[in-house]
Amino acid sequence: MSWRRTLAALALVSASWGVNAQEADTLSAATVYGVQVRPVVRAAEEVYLPQQPISPQNVAAVLQHFTGVQVKDYGGVGGLKTVNVRSLGSEHVGIFLDGIQIDNAQNMQVDLGRFSTDGIAMVSLYNGQKSRRLQTAKEYASGAAVHLRSERPKHFFGSGGRFRLRGGSFGTVNPSLMWDKDLGRSLTLRTQAEFLTSNGKYKYPFFDTTLVRENGDIRSLRLEAQLYGSLRRGEWNVHAYAYGSERGFPGPVIRRATGFPFSAERQADQDLFVQGGWDQNWTDRYSTAVKFKYSYDYTHYDTHPEKNPMAMPYDLHYYQSSGYLSLAQSYVLADPWSIDLSTDGQFNALDSDIGQFVTPRRAAFTGALATTLAWERFRAAAHLVYMGAWDFFDTPSAGGWSREDTYRDAWMPSLSVFWRPLQWMEIDAYAKRSYRLPSFNDLYYSQMGNSSLVPEQAEQFGLDIRFSERKPANYHLDIRISPYFNRVSNKIVAIPTSSQFRWTMLNIGLVDVTGLDTRAEAGINRGDWFLEGTLRYSLQQALDHSDSESRTYGNQIPYIPLHSGGIGFEARYGYWSLCWDTSVSGGKWSRTANIDDYYIKPWSISDASISRLCYLYDLDTRGMVPELTFTLNLGNVFNTPYQIVQGYPMPGFNALLSVELNW
Amino acid sequence: MLFCALVSVFACQKDPIPSKDADLTGSKVDVSGIPSDISKIFTLNEGSMGSNNSTLDFLRISDGNYITGAFKEMNPAIGAGLGDVGNDIVVIGNEVWMAINNSGIVEVVSARDETEIAAIQVPTPRNIAYDNGYAYVTSWAGAYANYGADYSITDYKNPKGQVYRINLRTKKVEGSVQVGYQPEGIACYNGKLYVANSGGISSQLPPNYSYDSTVSVIDTKSFKVTGNITVQVNLKGVFSDGKGNIYVTTLGNYYNVNSGVYMIDASNNVKHISDFVSIAAISGDTLYCVGTEQELDWSGAPKTWKAFTCKDGSKASFSLNVSETTPYGLFALGGDTFLIGDAGNYFDPGTVSLYRNGNKVWTVTSGVCPGHFAAW
Repeated sequence: MSWRRTLAALALVSASWGVNAQEADTLSAATVYGVQVRPVVRAAEEVYLPQQPISPQNVAAVLQHFTGVQVKDYGGVGGLKTVNVRSLGSEHVGIFLDGIQIDNAQNMQVDLGRFSTDGIAMVSLYNGQKSRRLQTAKEYASGAAVHLRSERPKHFFGSGGRFRLRGGSFGTVNPSLMWDKDLGRSLTLRTQAEFLTSNGKYKYPFFDTTLVRENGDIRSLRLEAQLYGSLRRGEWNVHAYAYGSERGFPGPVIRRATGFPFSAERQADQDLFVQGGWDQNWTDRYSTAVKFKYSYDYTHYDTHPEKNPMAMPYDLHYYQSSGYLSLAQSYVLADPWSIDLSTDGQFNALDSDIGQFVTPRRAAFTGALATTLAWERFRAAAHLVYMGAWDFFDTPSAGGWSREDTYRDAWMPSLSVFWRPLQWMEIDAYAKRSYRLPSFNDLYYSQMGNSSLVPEQAEQFGLDIRFSERKPANYHLDIRISPYFNRVSNKIVAIPTSSQFRWTMLNIGLVDVTGLDTRAEAGINRGDWFLEGTLRYSLQQALDHSDSESRTYGNQIPYIPLHSGGIGFEARYGYWSLCWDTSVSGGKWSRTANIDDYYIKPWSISDASISRLCYLYDLDTRGMVPELTFTLNLGNVFNTPYQIVQGYPMPGFNALLSVELNW
Repeated sequence: MLFCALVSVFACQKDPIPSKDADLTGSKVDVSGIPSDISKIFTLNEGSMGSNNSTLDFLRISDGNYITGAFKEMNPAIGAGLGDVGNDIVVIGNEVWMAINNSGIVEVVSARDETEIAAIQVPTPRNIAYDNGYAYVTSWAGAYANYGADYSITDYKNPKGQVYRINLRTKKVEGSVQVGYQPEGIACYNGKLYVANSGGISSQLPPNYSYDSTVSVIDTKSFKVTGNITVQVNLKGVFSDGKGNIYVTTLGNYYNVNSGVYMIDASNNVKHISDFVSIAAISGDTLYCVGTEQELDWSGAPKTWKAFTCKDGSKASFSLNVSETTPYGLFALGGDTFLIGDAGNYFDPGTVSLYRNGNKVWTVTSGVCPGHFAAW
C-alpha cells in the first residue's frame, strides 16, 4: 500500500471512527487488532460537519442542539458562550482540539463562541470521557468532554481551497479562506484565515421601552496553519494558531440613570498556540503517541472610565502561558485485551499588573492507566487517573508577602462497558469519579487566597440505551434513552467578604442531579429526496443539597431547566437543503432561591436555513469539481425576546447570508 | 389627586396616617421594644452587582408587618425596579433617600408610602449625609467631576472621588467637590462634613497600588475641602456622636492591618479605639460595633462575633449573641434593641433579625444582602 493510500485510509478510518465503528473494522488492514478499533465509549452526540448541509457559525451553535448540554450565552456575536453538561459546570467540561485540551488556567472557562467551525470536521460530546487508544491523560480526566477534530486537508493531490463570505444582521461581515496544498514527500499543508466584524447592535425590550444593545461590537482575526506528515507506520502533525480580537462588553441590562451608558468596557485578546502530535505503531502491538502544546494568551481589559462615569477605573493586562507534553502508550496484550498508559505534564503561569497580584504558577501531572477488553458485542474498559498539581503563589501574611506552595492531588477511577445484545440495540454504561482543580481565579481572586481549597468532585453514573434500525439507501431510525445520576460535591462557591471586591472561595456546594436525555431521529431517502426529523428531550433535576439548614435546601440550582428539548427537521431535494430547528427551554431560576423574583420564563426559539449548491462548471474530471453554495440562515424567526443569562438579552430575528466556493 | 383626597378622608376616620401602602402585608413580627416614636423601619437590600435586584423592605410598627419589595410594589410604572446595588438609605424629614450605586441614581421616595418623589442622577453614589437644606452624596466617579458640563479629566486612570451636593427642596445637584480615592462614609457635624476615603480600587491600580487613609473635611458653607486627617488605610464608615467626636471605621488591608475603629476628637486628634469591626451603627452618642478576630481566616470556618461600644472615646464590652453567619447590616434602635441583617450566601435572599437584651427575638426573610437601615 502506497503512502498516499495509507494516508487516505487513515484519514477515512479516523473520519468514520465515531460515525460508524464497524466500517472502521472492515477498512483496517489485517494487522490491526480488533481491540484497537472497537470503541468502548461512544459519543453521546456527534456531528460530522462536512455532511451538514448548513455549517453553523461557531462551536457553541453546534453544541446547543445536543441533549444534556446547556449553552450559557451572554448574547450577541461577541458574547461569552460556555457549556454545562448535565449540570456539571463548564469547569468540568474539557474542550479538546485533536486530543489536546484547550484550557484556561485563569477561570477554566473556554469561550466556544470564538471557535469557528471552519476547518473542524467533527464535534463530539462525551459524558464521562472518551476512551480510545493513545489518548492523552487529560482526555481521561474531565467530567464531560467536547472533542473537536480538525478536518484533514481534502487534497492529497495538488491543491484546493475554500472561500466563504458571510454577512447580514448586526453589521456582520465574515470572510474566511482555506487553502490546502500537497507538498509531496508525505506532507500536506492546510492554511486558514478568517476575519469577523460585527457592530453587535440589536433591539431588545426593556420593560415598556425598546432599547438597542450598545458596545457589543467585535473584530477578530484568526490565522491557522496545519502540516500533516506520514511516516512508515506513523503520522505526525503540527498546528499553529493565532487569534486576535477586540470587542466591547455591553454589560448587564439594569436600571441606569438616563445619560449614563450601561458599559464602555473593552477587551482585546491575543491567543497563540502551537500544538502537534506524533503517532507511531512500533509493532502491531505497541504504539505510542506524543503530543505537545505551547500557548500564550494576552488579555487587555479596560473599563474606560473616561467614557462611562459609572465605570470602576480598571485598565488591566493579563498574560497567561502554558506548556504541555504528553506521552501515550498502548500495548495489545492478547487481542481483544489491551493496556494503555498516558502521562501528561503541564506548566501554567499567569501574570497581571493588577495590584498585589499573587503571580500564580502551576506544575501539573496527570497519569492514566487504562485497560480495555473489546469483543465485537461486549466491551469493557477500566481507567485510573492520577492528577497532581503543585501551585506556587505569593501570599500576604502578617509579616508581609512571601512565596508559598500547595500540592493538591486526586485519584479518579472510572469504568465503561458496552454491550450489543441485539443487532439493533446497544447498551453503554459508565461510572466515574472526577475532580477539577481550583482555577487560578478560584484560588487567588483579588488576593483572598484560600489555600485550603480542595478539588471539586463529580461522581457520575450513566446508562445509554440505543435502538437503531438502518438501511442507508432507504431509511434510518435511531433512538437513544440515557438516564443518569451525577453528584457534584465540594463545589467551589464564591463568597464575598466585607467588601464587594474581595471574594473568598469555599468548598461548600453539594448538588445532586438526576436526569434523562432522550433523542429520536428518523430519516428517509426517496430518489432525490432526503427527509429527516429529530426530537430531543432532557429532564434534569439538579438539587442543591449543600446545607440542610439552609432555606434553599432541595431547590433547583440556578439556570438549569427541569425540562428542555427541541425538534429539528431537515429536507434535501437535489441541490436544495432546508433546515428547521426549534429549541425549548423550560422555566428556571437565576438563584437557588426558587422564588418569583428570580424566575426565568420558558422560551422557545426557532431557527431556519436554506441552501442551494451549484456546480460552477461541470468538468468531467476525475478530481474535484468547483462548487458554489448559497446559504441563508434565519435566527430567532419569530423575533421572540428571551434571555439565557438574566440581564443579558438575546438578539431577536436575524439573518445571515453566506456564499461558499469550494475548489 | 381628587381620588387621593377622597381616600384620605375615608381613611382618616380610622388611621391618623393614611397611606397608599396600607394594603401591603408580609411576615408578622413582634414589635415590642421598638421606640414608640418610630412608625416604620426601612431595610435597603443591596442585591448583587449587575443583577438589578436591590429592594426596599419596611417594617410597619403599627401592625408588625415586615413587607419585602415595597418599592416595586408601590411604583409599578418603574419597570426596572429600585435598581442595582442599593448602598445607603437615610430618612430626611418625610422622605427616604437611597444611593443606588450601580444605577447612578439617588432615589427619593415618600416615607409615608414609598412612592417616587425624584430620581437624581449621580454617578456611582455611595453614602448620604444631610444638613441645612442639602444632601451630600459621596461618589467614586471622579472622571466626570462636572458630569454633563465639562469633560476635562485630570486623571481618569485613577480618579479621585467627589462629594455631590443636592438641594433637598429642588432635588437638583448643586455642585461637587473633589475628595480622596473612592470615598465611602460621610457624616455631618457643626457645619463640617467628614468623608472617609477608602482607596479600595486605587489599591489595585498602578503605579502606587495604595489605599487611601484620609478623612476629608469639607466646610458646608464654602463647600470646599478645608483639611485632611490621616487615620488608617481603607476607611469605611463615619459616625458623629453629636458631641464633637467623629468615629471612623476601617476595613484594613486584609493581611497585616486589621479592621478597626478610630476616633477623631474636636481638636482633630486621632485615637485608635479597637481592632475588628465588620458592622457598626450609632445611637445617640454611642457607637455599637460587631467584629471578629478571625477576619483573615478565609477557610469558611464558623466565626465568633464580638460586640462592643464606643462612648466618649472609650471602648466597653457589650453583650450581643450574634448567631448570623454573615452579619451585614446593623441598626441600633436605642436601649438594648438592634436589627441585624444577615447576607447568608450573598446570592440568595438574606434575613433580618431583631435582638433584644443581647438575644435574637425574631427573624424574617429580606431581600439579597440586607445591609442598610433607616427609621421614620
